[in-house]
Amino acid sequence: MSALTSRDVLRPGPTGFKAWAQRMVFALMPYFFAFLRRWKPVMKMGKTNYLTSRYDDVREVFATDPVFGVVYKPHLDVIMGDQPFFLGMGDTPEYRHDTDAMRKVVRADDLPLLAARTEAQAEKIVAEAGGRIDVVDTLVRRVTFTMLGDYLGVPDPPGGDLRVWGTRLFEFQFVDQGNDPALRKEVDEIAPALRMHIQNEIARRRIDTGNDDVLARCLALQKAGDAAYSDDFIRTSLMGFIVGGPPQPPMVVPQAMEQLLRRPQVLAEAQAAARADDDARLRGYVFEAMRFDPLAPGLPRVALADWTIGRGTSHATVIPAGAQVLAAFASAMMDPRRVADPKRFDPDRPASDYMHFGFGLHECFGRHINHATLHLMLKPLLRQPNLRRAAGKEGKLRKSGPFAERLVVTYG
Amino acid sequence: MRQTTLSVALEVKPESYDHLSSLLDRLRNRRSTDPSGGEGPFADFLTRVPALHFMSLSVFPGFDYDPLFVIEANFDGARGPFWAQLESAIGPDLRLMLRCCKRPLDNDGPLFDSIVAANARAPIAPYLERRALTPTVYHHGNRGMTRDRILAEHALFEATRVELRCANVDGPNPYRVLSPSQIHAKLRAALLPGFGWLDHSAPKRIPLADNIADWARLIGFVIAAVFALSIPGLILSLIMPTDRYFILLAVAFLGFAAMLGKIGVALPGTGVATRFSFLKLFFQQLLPLVLFVLGYLVIAVAIGTPISMLFTARSFDAAWHGMITWLLWGLACVPVTVAGIVFWLRVLERGDASQDAPPVDPKMLREMARREDWIPQNHMGSIVLIKPGILRMILIRAGHLGLGLVLRIVARQGYLGSMRTIHFAHWAMVNNKSRLMFFSNFDQTWESYLDDFIEKAHAGLTLAWCCGVGFPPTRFLVKDGASHGRQFKEWARHSMSVSRFWYSAYKNLTAEQIERNFRIAIGLRKRTLSDKDAALWINDL
Repeated sequence: MSALTSRDVLRPGPTGFKAWAQRMVFALMPYFFAFLRRWKPVMKMGKTNYLTSRYDDVREVFATDPVFGVVYKPHLDVIMGDQPFFLGMGDTPEYRHDTDAMRKVVRADDLPLLAARTEAQAEKIVAEAGGRIDVVDTLVRRVTFTMLGDYLGVPDPPGGDLRVWGTRLFEFQFVDQGNDPALRKEVDEIAPALRMHIQNEIARRRIDTGNDDVLARCLALQKAGDAAYSDDFIRTSLMGFIVGGPPQPPMVVPQAMEQLLRRPQVLAEAQAAARADDDARLRGYVFEAMRFDPLAPGLPRVALADWTIGRGTSHATVIPAGAQVLAAFASAMMDPRRVADPKRFDPDRPASDYMHFGFGLHECFGRHINHATLHLMLKPLLRQPNLRRAAGKEGKLRKSGPFAERLVVTYG
Repeated sequence: MRQTTLSVALEVKPESYDHLSSLLDRLRNRRSTDPSGGEGPFADFLTRVPALHFMSLSVFPGFDYDPLFVIEANFDGARGPFWAQLESAIGPDLRLMLRCCKRPLDNDGPLFDSIVAANARAPIAPYLERRALTPTVYHHGNRGMTRDRILAEHALFEATRVELRCANVDGPNPYRVLSPSQIHAKLRAALLPGFGWLDHSAPKRIPLADNIADWARLIGFVIAAVFALSIPGLILSLIMPTDRYFILLAVAFLGFAAMLGKIGVALPGTGVATRFSFLKLFFQQLLPLVLFVLGYLVIAVAIGTPISMLFTARSFDAAWHGMITWLLWGLACVPVTVAGIVFWLRVLERGDASQDAPPVDPKMLREMARREDWIPQNHMGSIVLIKPGILRMILIRAGHLGLGLVLRIVARQGYLGSMRTIHFAHWAMVNNKSRLMFFSNFDQTWESYLDDFIEKAHAGLTLAWCCGVGFPPTRFLVKDGASHGRQFKEWARHSMSVSRFWYSAYKNLTAEQIERNFRIAIGLRKRTLSDKDAALWINDL
């Protein structure tokens, strides 16, 4: 089957011993990070790779963007057809221009509507599920892609599935460090097709304006003569949002659900918040649950010049230009030097305890949307009586590499 | 949860004093700008620094030293997370302020460079953590009360007021006809839906481990002090025949006592009538003192006997007997050592210069006055020079250490002496321990706060502050001193600086009200109260 018509959102993951070893690595990672934080806060791995594990050092790497640049450009060029996208840029005037332009069309006052749509959609899915639901695919992935697809103005491509296309490109962009040829082959099919699909939508919407969504706003500004909104810019930005945005909640929100299920008392409190319509409180529970199993162990950066991390401290380490640094934000959020009692589940933590969406220049563009919607994806489910894991293996979160694959719960 | 009090004192580049002051004013004027921070002054601090009770940022002008920038903070929990929260709240402002400070010449220089360099983005938390000072003495008025608990219990108090006032607006108040226990039951039933935590047992304000640690530290201090005071006797008893040793002790003691009798009286015009008496204190504390001395003997014998056996190859019986005899001879010397120290101290005190009319900058006084008395709480920060000399140095450190340990035992429910107006106060030494810094967050006006101190806690206050240059004349560390009310207040005002940025997480609550809210909450947490207990409890409503 062609990648374009595939319905398998995730590629087949490893099986047997390899799968077991992968699970072990993820399970042992918190202990490994604790060891590193104590004994080797900046660790050299191989010839040119470093890993930072302490809160202060991770923040320093993210905050010092003139020295620690993003590594996304080569893969972005493949996805975008060599069109520049701000995710791959440093803090340049072009970066400021492009992000400012997108902030004009991705507005703060959209958040209440997005929140309402998210909750309504999740409500509908949970109601129709008949007391048994896969949190990953049936609930969160459907809600996310539908909600964000509608908001951005990018529907499913004819004959294709936006969930498959977006997730595959996400994997290529953010996960595939080994340049897997099989994945690249699929990307070489999907990326041009998605560009074409969005370009066709641009052409269609120019004639039929349709709903008030991000694409419509871009086209309105283009029509008004704003030179920033060229077709290339609109297409690339929407594509970037599709690749970087909706594939993430189906990873992290089920992981949060798994963490809640592991803590019956906390789950009961989160359910009470959901039933009381206390969205701020519920957000506290979901974001805190995410801290115990965040989106990824860390984010990579490349040193653009020689730099000393932790200068003036006992663990100061010189990072040579060209070296790659993994800023382990998962470890930073568990660093007792800066996060109070990190092993305790505390839904009232201050914002500074979290780095779910990165930090500094390249902090996730959609962080406000995430802030407004992630917890609401689980809210209708949490309101259900007798919510529990399904019997057997499918009642426990299964992962395929970094992707959440399946977590079935029952209720009622 | 344990509360933490600390301060960071950083030397300021003299040319940056005005700029730093303006940065502090600007931060203060930028209140409530965070759209997610709720309402009211500094509301963003409530959400972004949830551990914080009180915080101040001050800059002290330099007369004998370069100006000093001081961050004073009182918060719940450990230091590390607090610095991260503070950086998240006002990190960019703090970085600008740190750029006004001098580069430290010690090992912290490179760390300082990394945070103040042009376009520097390294976290400032490690530097602030490294430069944080541990208080020599501190006092927590509402010890063990976390900020969230204080706010929650005050919300409960407000709800009790509403319930009692509005239970039946159109008719007679139903609470009036109930017995105390019925009032408790009805009020609890009315409030429980809104305050679910009333069904849970209250967290202990002072956990058992903290309590044990407080006592262990105090006992350790007293035992170490007894040992230190007996050292001259321990040495002399080894080199002198016993009879001559005791004759020497008696002669020395009588000599010191005679001389103290001569110079112990207040100098003309400096004595203040007081009910405080060393003799009275001695007899009051005789029993604990005897217990401490016995404890000292037990511990010292337990440690010393094996060492004696090792070095002298004596049998256990001989070593044990020899050790206790030696320690007792040492103990006999303690009164003589104390008398000698007191004599030396008194000689120094008689020569001290006190400042009768300390100059106060009228402009600064106006600035201070402009910021005081807006809310029921106030804040003061002061820095004084420490008197020179080895005896003073030892006494200040030992005195502060002992005072701090005693406060942890005796000042546990808001009271310091008979005062209940202090939320958080602390002393710390700065400039290589040549100056003493004092910060206090207190209720009522500055005048009444100091009057309270002068009336009710002048001995402790004199003990903590008598080492300051210019302090009113003092006798035996604790007498007179702060009892010279007017002179003491002028001296204190002279040493103060403007509290340019000051934050209180519960600005309308006095220490007394916090304790009242606590008692009400404790009562309401109980499902039932007897009529007797309830009758006592309703006094707080």
